[in-house]
Amino acid sequence: MANKSSIEELAIFGGSRLFAIPKSTSNLVRPDVEKFLQYSKAFFDQHQYTNNGPNVKLLEKRLAAFHQAEYCITFCSGFWAIAIAISAVALKGKTEIVMPSFTYRRMADIAAWVNLKPHFCEVEPATLAMSAATVRPCINENTALILGVHPIVNCCDVDGLVALAKEKNIPLLFDSVESVYESTAGGKVGGSGKAEIFSLHASKLLNGFEGGYITTNDASLAKQLAMMRGFGFGGIDNIVVPDGMNAKLNEVHAAMTLASLDDLEDQVARNRQRYYTYKRLLAAIPGIRLLDFDEDHQTSYKNIVVELLDAWPLTRAGTISILNAEKILARAYYSPPLHQKPMAYAHVPADLPLTDELAERFLNLPCGHLVSNEDITNIVKFLEFISANASRISERLREMGEK
Amino acid sequence: MTTTSFALFGAKPAFDKPLPIGQLYFPSWERYEAAFRGIFERQYYTNQGPLTEQLEEKLQQFLGVKHAICVSNATIGLMMTTDAMGLTGKVILPAFTFAASAQSLSWAGLKPVFCDIDLNTHQIDIDRVESLIDEEVSAIMGVNLWGGACKPKALQELADAKGVQLYFDSAHAFGCAVDGVKIANFGHAEVFSFHATKILSATEGGCVCTNDDDLAARLRNIRSSYGAGRPVNVVRTANGRMSEAQAAIALMSLEDFPANQKNNEVLYRLYETQLKEIPGLHLVIPTGVSFSNFQYLVCSVDEREFGLPRDVLIDLLKAENVVARRYFYPGLHRSIPYVQELPQYLDSLPNTDSLCASCIQFPIGALVSAESVERICNILLRAHQASTEIRARHEK
Repeated sequence: MANKSSIEELAIFGGSRLFAIPKSTSNLVRPDVEKFLQYSKAFFDQHQYTNNGPNVKLLEKRLAAFHQAEYCITFCSGFWAIAIAISAVALKGKTEIVMPSFTYRRMADIAAWVNLKPHFCEVEPATLAMSAATVRPCINENTALILGVHPIVNCCDVDGLVALAKEKNIPLLFDSVESVYESTAGGKVGGSGKAEIFSLHASKLLNGFEGGYITTNDASLAKQLAMMRGFGFGGIDNIVVPDGMNAKLNEVHAAMTLASLDDLEDQVARNRQRYYTYKRLLAAIPGIRLLDFDEDHQTSYKNIVVELLDAWPLTRAGTISILNAEKILARAYYSPPLHQKPMAYAHVPADLPLTDELAERFLNLPCGHLVSNEDITNIVKFLEFISANASRISERLREMGEK
Repeated sequence: MTTTSFALFGAKPAFDKPLPIGQLYFPSWERYEAAFRGIFERQYYTNQGPLTEQLEEKLQQFLGVKHAICVSNATIGLMMTTDAMGLTGKVILPAFTFAASAQSLSWAGLKPVFCDIDLNTHQIDIDRVESLIDEEVSAIMGVNLWGGACKPKALQELADAKGVQLYFDSAHAFGCAVDGVKIANFGHAEVFSFHATKILSATEGGCVCTNDDDLAARLRNIRSSYGAGRPVNVVRTANGRMSEAQAAIALMSLEDFPANQKNNEVLYRLYETQLKEIPGLHLVIPTGVSFSNFQYLVCSVDEREFGLPRDVLIDLLKAENVVARRYFYPGLHRSIPYVQELPQYLDSLPNTDSLCASCIQFPIGALVSAESVERICNILLRAHQASTEIRARHEK
């Protein structure tokens, strides 16, 4: 895997790719296959493949303990876990849900599934996260719920949001999909608001193929959520809560998650190495700022996000095209933001100049199981190369565009 | 006749541990292990991976349908289908169906209109559908029950004549055919369940089938950005993905379908022969199909002829470790939230009420042997013979 010596060698101009196997921003952690098979044996021997089987029960117990929360309920995905949680706790008769625009690309669609209008709030430039100050102006007599969303590096101001929700008497949920391993001053993520929601998608910290889970300290909410994921049944032939559906986690996905959980401490150590490799090497390149993890608290070191500063000599779109051509699957960070996208459902129109500006600046770089420290060295060397040759590259790109 | 031979009254149960209702077919450990070592080697876990692609192709071939779109589960498949079909207002469906059929409408913001059923076939009563169609009704959701079919062609004619759309909850009907045409090809779309209790299992899972290219494109765009194919506008997306783990199991299950169907049929015939000897237990024959998966064994209990009410029989069997179920009880019109939201149906579905009071389901599938069928039928016969005494003791 040779790095480039002239711009003719760039894949975007017809040269060979830097990587044969794509380097993506998905975690794709591979737990120990023997452990996975060992967990599988439990449901196999009992002929119980889903519907609250042995692995789901064990997983819920272990995840509740891990997050230091009273209860954990697993789901078929983070998407439907969020939808069900909103449906369970949103104030009845109210119409709006406050959420950031600078977030997961399907978040507004989730609001549409639960028949609430997204009311998008700004974020803080320092954290890229919503805060009490950015949420407050969005609260009105129609607010049904605040969806607190942690950004993908570090956490949002949990205490501030909790205090605001309490002051306004509005339920608060946390989308903590990217914060499984994180802690804040208040302790481990997982015990705040009415409930916190996590994902087990293969691209996330814990790989369960697909899946999600919710942690809460509220006993009656835990019971309600567990019933809602199973059609609302509270017993045989007895539907006791409305808004049920099928959002159960199957036993195979639970076995996978258990195996991933066994590997978690090792994984975080591997992530830390990757992060430090990036940090050390990127420091030498002007115009790129790595988002630092807050090491005062526990962190997963999983996501690598950089800001392209004014000193970076290429556009972000151009940079991404050049990288993607080499099979470095860098992605624009939450771009476009949700309020800029067309929505065919009811929403509160938003004017968010800060989000608009931030949405142009950040980039997710490859991370996770399939990215080695050597890969990172090559990626950063490549960034250095395109930065050093930026004016000639830009010229070629312009010519290509004109043709 | 004495009651002392029944576990309900202290005897040893007929089965050592609970015999579940079915289907619970699953590949051997060796096949499971090999399939999953393959996934771990490929490190492709979800997002329309190679196994999901392969499964969709094989399902299309097997069902003779243009598009099979695999989903996380059948409920999510139904929810996606209502959106993809652009349904509005109200949808007609039977109340004698699983909760998910109506819940998919509620999640999509639509209102169910409950139609009564035919007492003999248990399927939606097509003669009553027409009178329920008004200007707010955008579709009929046919439900193919018990390995039979709900007259899809006649429903199509009615839907066409009335200018409404038609689709099917075919969760029970994988592999079944109507006049040689596989279920999957009727209406605008048909939704299958690959839940562990169904003949084709992905543990959880399902697929939506259609011959309409545009509908398929919308479904794929709603499901997720991976495997979305041709981009088309949809109102809202969802996570409806099937993982490689689910697809791996479903692929093996599809391979096993002929053997599993045969096994079901053999067990069904055994039940059929022996139940004939027991007054008051009327076996439901999968009707309207030229081929059935025989994945359910359902009877209605005639309390007068049999001698015991259905619920007493269920208690009696439960004590023997036979998991018999009163399926769909008490009917969706009597379940939350429809019992409060739509009280007009409480008095308008007499056949549904009658079947909810008499319907019983017995175990059939992977864990049921010919010998267990004999043992179950023996309990049933003895229960009939001792019904007077059982009744007297049970009432105490």
